[in-house]
Amino acid sequence: MNKKLSVFLAIVLILSILAGCGNNNTTQNTPTQEPLDIAYYAYNSEPILNWDPSVMFSNGIIILNNTYETLLRFYPDTKEFEHVLATNYEKSEDGMVWTFQLRKGVTFHDGTPFTADAVKFSIERTLEIGQGASYIWDPVEEINVIDDYTVEFRLSYAAPLDQIASSPYAAFIMSPAIKDYPSDWFEAGNEAGTGPYSLENNSMGDEVILTKFNDYWKGWDGEHFDKIIIKKIPETSSRRQMVEKGEADITLQLTPEDIEALKNNDSVKIYVEPSFTNLIAFFNTEKAPLNDINVRQALSYAFPYKDVVDYAAGGYASQSIGAIPKGHWGRGENLFQYSLNLEKAKALLQESGIQQNELKLLLTYMSGDEAERKAAELYKAELSKIGVELEIRAMPWESQWEMAMDPLPENRQDIFIMYWWPDTSNPYSWLYSLFRTEESILFNMSYYSNENFDQLIDLGYEKSGIDIEEAENLFIEAQSILIDEAPAIFIMDKEDVWVTSSSFSGFKYNPSYPNVVFFYDTYRK
Amino acid sequence: MRNYIIKRLLLGVIVLMGVVVITFFLARVIPSNPAAQWVGPRATQEQIDKATIELGLDQPLYIQFTKYLTDLFKGNLGFSLRTKQPIVNELKTYLPPTIELVIMSTFIAVLVGIPLGLNSAKRKDKALDHFCRFFSVGAVSLPTFWVALFLQLIFFRALNLLPLGGQIDAKLKLIYQIPNYTGFLFLDSLISGNTIIIKDVYRHMLLPAITLSLYPVGLVARMTRSALLEILSEDYIKAARSYGIHEQKVLWLYALKNSLGTTVTVLALSTGYTLVNTFLVEAIFSWPGVGSYIAGAVVSLDYPAIIGVTLFSAFTYIILNLFADIIIALDPRVRV
Repeated sequence: MNKKLSVFLAIVLILSILAGCGNNNTTQNTPTQEPLDIAYYAYNSEPILNWDPSVMFSNGIIILNNTYETLLRFYPDTKEFEHVLATNYEKSEDGMVWTFQLRKGVTFHDGTPFTADAVKFSIERTLEIGQGASYIWDPVEEINVIDDYTVEFRLSYAAPLDQIASSPYAAFIMSPAIKDYPSDWFEAGNEAGTGPYSLENNSMGDEVILTKFNDYWKGWDGEHFDKIIIKKIPETSSRRQMVEKGEADITLQLTPEDIEALKNNDSVKIYVEPSFTNLIAFFNTEKAPLNDINVRQALSYAFPYKDVVDYAAGGYASQSIGAIPKGHWGRGENLFQYSLNLEKAKALLQESGIQQNELKLLLTYMSGDEAERKAAELYKAELSKIGVELEIRAMPWESQWEMAMDPLPENRQDIFIMYWWPDTSNPYSWLYSLFRTEESILFNMSYYSNENFDQLIDLGYEKSGIDIEEAENLFIEAQSILIDEAPAIFIMDKEDVWVTSSSFSGFKYNPSYPNVVFFYDTYRK
Repeated sequence: MRNYIIKRLLLGVIVLMGVVVITFFLARVIPSNPAAQWVGPRATQEQIDKATIELGLDQPLYIQFTKYLTDLFKGNLGFSLRTKQPIVNELKTYLPPTIELVIMSTFIAVLVGIPLGLNSAKRKDKALDHFCRFFSVGAVSLPTFWVALFLQLIFFRALNLLPLGGQIDAKLKLIYQIPNYTGFLFLDSLISGNTIIIKDVYRHMLLPAITLSLYPVGLVARMTRSALLEILSEDYIKAARSYGIHEQKVLWLYALKNSLGTTVTVLALSTGYTLVNTFLVEAIFSWPGVGSYIAGAVVSLDYPAIIGVTLFSAFTYIILNLFADIIIALDPRVRV
């Protein structure tokens, strides 16, 4: 070995590294007949973890809502339904029988024609497996096939079946042919929907590629994308750089600082949209002294709403009014809103006989959530001013939840912070899950129980399918009870900020379908 | 020698058993409800009860453990609570990208670290030595996430020379049939012989591999340097020099050879370390490897996945340790 050799080795090393550099024009000099129009969605988490449309109850809706379709699609701003696989529907006066006329000439990706049997099969399969969001179909007693294109739902109690049928989860219609497929067919990453796009390639938990389904019933006239790439890009700065450079077409969940920096950038478009996610802090109403309404009201007056909106959410949120977020029906615009008022909080605490520095509270939140952490810390600072000590504990969701379900109220937390978003676009989704009396604890983290409230929201739900205005009034009345008795602090309604490349057009966000981009409506211009 | 290896292997098995016991019970002591996870969020009590029985969680812990052990011997690591996929399949998907990355970074570590340490030792206390020492301390102590972001800023944003992340250009995937013979993408692309794919995969690998290699580079350079310094003052080197043997030959052949034992040990251990600590690098470079997988599993307390990955990393550590021990034992100066 000599000097020459070591010099040679060094040169080889440097050259081999440089060989990788050079302009990334690999995609341009490739032998394709016609250029494909490809949309790229840079998503912050796994695009999908479960391909079974009956079971999937998380991120996967961003894929399944492009490969499958539902009978109806709900538009929360107008409270109207788009007829997707159903062309029309009627309900009986008592809201117990619903009849859907189905669209003709629709085929599943596997070639099976779409008929009433498919609807019956899909909903029954979802109910039978009984996982995920299948409970939304609970009111359904039987499904009858009247003829090939008419299907009738008989309910055991009145419920808004149109909203259920347009749910982003568990309402997908799938090909009946799948019953003959092996049981692990979905697990292997397959789909059998009627949607505009079909699955081309899937590497689980990382990347999904969809390609246009040529026989889609709406046809492919006009401008559309041929292929869709949906890829997990967990790092915020990477997502920002990709969309800035035009490598990705659409992304979300950037930091407020990133969004601020991108505002003056012509290569991107920014959409600030209401989301149906709100942040709520639940008081343990079964534990002294939080079982005292005055104490809960005092703690509600000590919350720094504005600071949390400004600093924890970077201004991309607004203070909640009641339990229902901005833009969703059933929100009571005229309901009372607590504001930061430490004098009032002190007075209320004294009224309840609580001395300075006597009250020590434990707050739990999901570890890793920056907005929750900041909100908790801002709250702690305010509470210390009125002599209340707040201990903040970050926990993995599973542990946070398990602690909240401890049989002894004394062993549970005092304040539980979490986000909530709807499974069907109905106020019941919040009011039932979060505040209705529960026999065994599930998501009512205030352990709240009020018979009057329960009756109001049950009636509201029944009326939702019959008279939506009346239902709305009932839900608002129920929320006024919540605000008065203060089992929880309604902190803020989050906003989603979407950033797209400047050529990505046709995007309109529908917050009833969280994080979903309906790619059929989008095109490049 | 044979007895030595057998003894080490048996010890390894005992360590593995310990790892299984500890992780299994630790995962179960943490408050969580696996049945509720299995059913998914917003489950009803009936669904959870049904899943509890299905998953055998109503059985006493020691029965669950025996069942887990018997499954383990059949090569079945159970099912992920998050994805409901067999853990073995998940590992088959997520391990190859990480292994490829680690091999690549080890390769860089050897190629850069050894010459660096050697030249540093040769010119002790000269400018080059100071530079090398400064560089290796920096390489060990710079936080990887910072280096990763820094490299991205330079090579993607400013110079536009290398891709930001991922294993392969997503659009390239739509044009070419991506080969899948072994599951190792770089190896597969080499087998396929398609130069465009090879180049693209290689380009994607560079930044994450360089980031990962920094720690072992620094370590190897320092180890080589200190081992060589000691060796260079020994009599046989003096003898070689006095015979008039070319200085490069003395260094590269006689001195380096004797220092390799330390270097290989350090390298084996740091490879084991890198293999299970790739999470930050994988997250920043959107690398679909086992680091991202275990992070997701830990956050959602997916205990079968956690045990699976822990077992794998324990296994790798043991094998790499054994490898290092054998290398040392091969040295005739060491009596086993």
